[in-house]
Amino acid sequence: MPIDFARADQGDTTNLRIAGTLDVLTAPGLASTIEQIVEERRPKVVVDLSGLDLIDSSGVAALVALYKRVRAVGGQVQVTGARDQPLAIFKLLRMDKVFLL
Amino acid sequence: MDPRTIRMTAPCSLRHRALAVRLVAEACRLVRGERSGDDLAAGYDVRDPFDVAVVSAFAEIYNNVALHACAGLVDPQIELAIAATPDGITVEMTDPGRRFDPESVRSPDLDALPEGGMGLHIARAMLDVVDYEPGPPNLWRLSKRRVAAVDPPVVATRTA
Repeated sequence: MPIDFARADQGDTTNLRIAGTLDVLTAPGLASTIEQIVEERRPKVVVDLSGLDLIDSSGVAALVALYKRVRAVGGQVQVTGARDQPLAIFKLLRMDKVFLL
Repeated sequence: MDPRTIRMTAPCSLRHRALAVRLVAEACRLVRGERSGDDLAAGYDVRDPFDVAVVSAFAEIYNNVALHACAGLVDPQIELAIAATPDGITVEMTDPGRRFDPESVRSPDLDALPEGGMGLHIARAMLDVVDYEPGPPNLWRLSKRRVAAVDPPVVATRTA
């Protein structure tokens, strides 16, 4: 399943839903969305990964970039819903504690 | 040649990555005694911890081979040989690309939230064996044993 992502703003919160596969092929497709979120200095970004089936290190790098860049401009990032293979990768890389999964 | 070995030859490119990953994922199901291909239309089914480990590791190694070893070559091909038994899986992947020195790769500093250099770390952490023999052709050998589920003990009960 290719990547499927959608952004929805509600007040100060930006909800970013990512589903399917986030990997070396699909992660670049998120770049412009991440760029917009950072440029707009969104105060809170909630990333919903409940529909994410697979992730690789390139996908993790995209999420880390989002996390670092949003926080660098004073925002917060919350990651929710990770399960199965993506959750195993986050735990292996000790990012479950960073993302508060 | 072991007639039970699963083999595939494909262009060494990211475009064919999903095909190779899918093959490995289906081979994992054979290891676990499930029938492969029953629900291909449903997409990936990578939930079992064994499958998670093998598929995650293989995908990272494939990325490195396609992106780095085979970059710039004309029509390079990889060859996959998968031995799937109830005891585990071994995936051998050969490529005609540039040599690589795995020892030159440092473990990532996870506390620094790295944005790269995690692929080989993931593979090594997930598998029992990650071997590399420089070529040409270069050979990656990835193995993981399967720990079979233990049946719960039978508890005798006495009735009055």
